[in-house]
Amino acid sequence: MSINRYLPHVLVLPEDDANRELANGFQLDPLLDTRRMQILGVAGGWGNVLDRFREEHIPQMDRYANRFMVLLIDFDDQQDRMTRVRAEIPAHLIDRVFVLGVRTEPENLTRNLGSYETIGKAMAKDCRDNTEVTWTHPLLRHNAGELERLRKHIRPILFSDI
Amino acid sequence: MENFELPVAGLSSVLLIGKNGAGKTTVSLALEVLQKIARGANRVDDVVRPKDLARGRADVPMRFEIEVNLNGQAYKYSIAFEFPPGFKELRVFEENLLADGKPIFTRELAQVHLATTNREQAANFLIDWHRPALPVVQERSPNDPLFIFRQWLARWVILRPIPRSMKGNSEQETLQPSAESMDFGAWFSGLLAYAPASYGTIDGYLKQVLPDIKEIKNPVIGKDSRSLEVQFFNEQGNVTIPFSDLSDGEKCFMICALVLAANTAYGPLVCFWDEPDSHLALSEVGLFIMALRKSFQSGGQFIATSHNPEAIRRFSDENTLVLYRNSHLEPTIIQPLSAFKVKGDLVNALIRGDVEP
Repeated sequence: MSINRYLPHVLVLPEDDANRELANGFQLDPLLDTRRMQILGVAGGWGNVLDRFREEHIPQMDRYANRFMVLLIDFDDQQDRMTRVRAEIPAHLIDRVFVLGVRTEPENLTRNLGSYETIGKAMAKDCRDNTEVTWTHPLLRHNAGELERLRKHIRPILFSDI
Repeated sequence: MENFELPVAGLSSVLLIGKNGAGKTTVSLALEVLQKIARGANRVDDVVRPKDLARGRADVPMRFEIEVNLNGQAYKYSIAFEFPPGFKELRVFEENLLADGKPIFTRELAQVHLATTNREQAANFLIDWHRPALPVVQERSPNDPLFIFRQWLARWVILRPIPRSMKGNSEQETLQPSAESMDFGAWFSGLLAYAPASYGTIDGYLKQVLPDIKEIKNPVIGKDSRSLEVQFFNEQGNVTIPFSDLSDGEKCFMICALVLAANTAYGPLVCFWDEPDSHLALSEVGLFIMALRKSFQSGGQFIATSHNPEAIRRFSDENTLVLYRNSHLEPTIIQPLSAFKVKGDLVNALIRGDVEP
């Protein structure tokens, strides 16, 4: 069966193909419970991520209390983007929605860390093992706050056997 | 296909995409030529025929080559066929197997030369030039590089299943299933006879995709014959369904379970699955692909073809290869997706037909 909507699960909404490939790598972690994570089609820009989140996902999150969402966006060096995105998340859902992304664009990450899938796998390993090897990269370390929340709420869902 | 090379070295999973007629299924047929030889094909005519010559050009030989690293040893096998005037079927004009650059055997037409090893002297013998030598040459032991390579090649799983025709009956056991999976029952029996603990892997996967499954049984239904049946249960009770009555998608789950178990039990396998998503619900496709990709990360190689957007999205630029050809008069060309510099959403670019040179 597909993902069980009545058990804790995570939907990942990527802005573009680069973020989708990062999510693919994350889901390939050998200890991750594949059936607790569904990667959605790319939204095509961070604005579209917000539109889709508002129009499609807020009503469904209200319906399914065990649904968590990760919005994968590019911050494009815009310091206020996180504030703008988080402002769109209803207060009653704030604990179930996470906003992650590269400070500039994911393309810049690959020069240092390898392919998107490789980076995604490394991010999953960090999340799984409570390490910070990849997440402390200059283009990722601004996610520290969200990573902390991720570890608290998402890690037990995706790595339930650990 | 002409001068075609499948660049999959170092990739644990690979997706082949391309328009209809680009050559994706033909890749599986070419791989099947090598697999059939290793499985003991008696005659060249059983694996390639004159009609398979590129555009009927009888003056150009047909050559297949494969290179693989197994247990730290680099193997290279090649076989070339020709179609001389007056012949009714192709013949082998050259065949070689090398390990770490050293010949295990070489062949020209009917003359086969076995190379000297630590324990054996060199030897020569003649073979019918309509028969491949690989299945004929006798290995010295299970540690013989010849045995290791041939067994690995024979155990490739090439899948183009026809679920509706899969009955689940078997009269024998096999670890070498056919592409159409008509011998699924024999594969199930063979796998469990070879590695009974495989049932744990099969059961574990099936319980994820079919939560109400209880068990698979394979009772004897006649002399030397068995028939698979699947038992489901819930709070209302049990129901047993003959394997043949499962839906096409459910049969694909069964195949996937066996692929995962086989790769663990007697891998590393090469698994080529032509359109594995064909019969699956959209909500299942991505999870199905990810289960296979994840399994082959720890050994073996999974190669899929697909036109399904959800399957395509579960691969990335680094492991997606695009096949294309300009017309039926021109050969298939293969390039990594990264060479196309697709802007925006890949699936939309494919729908527009923009993923072309």
